[in-house]
Amino acid sequence: MAEETPSQTVPETVKAAIADRPVEGRVCLEAGAGVGNTTAGLLAAGAARVYAVTDDPAHAAAVRDRCGDATDRLVVVEGDLRQTPLRPDSVDLVTAHGLCNLLDPAALAAVAAEFSRVAAAGCHLVVDDYEPLPESAAVRDLFAVENAATELATGRSALTFYPASLLRRVFAGHGWTFDRERTLLDPVPWTASHLSAHAGVVTDAIAGLPPELGDPLERRAERLVEAIGEEFAGTMYSVAMTRPDGDETR
Amino acid sequence: METRPLGATGQESTVATFGAIALNWLEQEGANQMVEHVLDHGVNHFDVAPTYGDAELKLGPKLRQHREDIFLGCKTQERGYDGAAHKLERSLDRLGVDTIDLYQIHGLEYESELDEITGDDGALAAIREAKAEGKVDHLGLTSHGNPDLILDAIDRIDDLETLMFPLNPVVAGKDDDEYDYEAVLERASEENIGTLGIKAFAKGSWPPTSELPEEDRPYANWYEPVDTPEEIRDRFDFAASQGLSTVVTPGDPKLVSMVLDAASRYDGMDEATQRALIEQSRHDDSPVPEQLHH
Repeated sequence: MAEETPSQTVPETVKAAIADRPVEGRVCLEAGAGVGNTTAGLLAAGAARVYAVTDDPAHAAAVRDRCGDATDRLVVVEGDLRQTPLRPDSVDLVTAHGLCNLLDPAALAAVAAEFSRVAAAGCHLVVDDYEPLPESAAVRDLFAVENAATELATGRSALTFYPASLLRRVFAGHGWTFDRERTLLDPVPWTASHLSAHAGVVTDAIAGLPPELGDPLERRAERLVEAIGEEFAGTMYSVAMTRPDGDETR
Repeated sequence: METRPLGATGQESTVATFGAIALNWLEQEGANQMVEHVLDHGVNHFDVAPTYGDAELKLGPKLRQHREDIFLGCKTQERGYDGAAHKLERSLDRLGVDTIDLYQIHGLEYESELDEITGDDGALAAIREAKAEGKVDHLGLTSHGNPDLILDAIDRIDDLETLMFPLNPVVAGKDDDEYDYEAVLERASEENIGTLGIKAFAKGSWPPTSELPEEDRPYANWYEPVDTPEEIRDRFDFAASQGLSTVVTPGDPKLVSMVLDAASRYDGMDEATQRALIEQSRHDDSPVPEQLHH
């Protein structure tokens, strides 16, 4: 058996999202680096450099740990995606895999502006995210509890599911041209480990709330995780856009 | 049921192959009914082995009755000439037939076995001799071992006509070389070698026997299987849409009907749904709830 090392496996969703994008020899911005799935995919596809940006120190450490053998091509940036330290016109490919649902509308607007600032002429953009879940999806109840908890704790929603058509228009407003859309997952598997992770967000959020407010939310989240178990619902899409070759849009 | 060419053998196999190990768990009358049930669904490719308890003996009566309708695969775990020649005669005798359509080297695991099999005094020499005598029609190999070893076998056995190996969403989602059966599938397709998928319905390993003693397992499979009609259908459709010639039914007779139903209704699976199954398995596999996203 394999040793207990961090998995080098690149998810099929990531592979499918970047398969038709020019990655080899390109400078990439991986926005919201998570545990490094997309960073690993970009490095495996031959990226010249990947700036993996995340505001979560644990994620930054996870990405360094996982992709540490590519230190000459990887720069993990712990910082705010709305204001990265990257220079204007310096990036050839921007990836945002499962990022936008974590951004509320104000943050989305700022991040879209930042992507457009750092993008070089001819830059490619890949935005992968979830369509709003159908009414019938049980996981909506869990996400509602999650949003209730974070709204009470921070005044912001944890999750916003933007339709692909809406994100296209947001980026088109910054001068990006629509290239293609494909379905990455249909349906989306919300597994027990996903559901637990979302319940974990509730637990973290209520830490600063009075118990009479927070405890019922946590209990409800726990009950939902148990009742749902696992659910296949909704779709995940990949939208690809490009920056015009000239800089007439700026 | 859809049929596909089994490599260059000339055989058109149904997209489901009956794994006759299931007969081992049935009495003779039940085994007879199972074979009729499988044939009623149009399945024309059966696979058995001498190591599957009484499966050869229990397959015998109905196999002989329907010999013309069944493409029969059998196997040998022998690696040397004498053993393979002897076990082939034994299988012919136990099955009660004159010819085995596809005779496969069973469960290749080590490079040293490949040396032995391909040697002058190896099992392949016995199988080739049996082919010349008309006792065997085609030569195959089965393995759940290292994919690199299977690729080596393709290089070293020029007359290899079929390969049987694992393929399911868990395996397909892993990039590590030790699970890269997709490379085997690709190479086999290039070489026009027929491909049979096994473990399509495996969900995971059984819990340790300290938690679940072997005699308390609810299924006879080597691995804990998926067991609802929806999951069975997803797993069948996934395996059948990877480009295999045919998918072998699971070893427990309780699951066979559901798989036959899935196989009868098979009409492809789109890539987004294939990825959904791979993603599900990828997270199932991870004991640590670390992922919010896919």
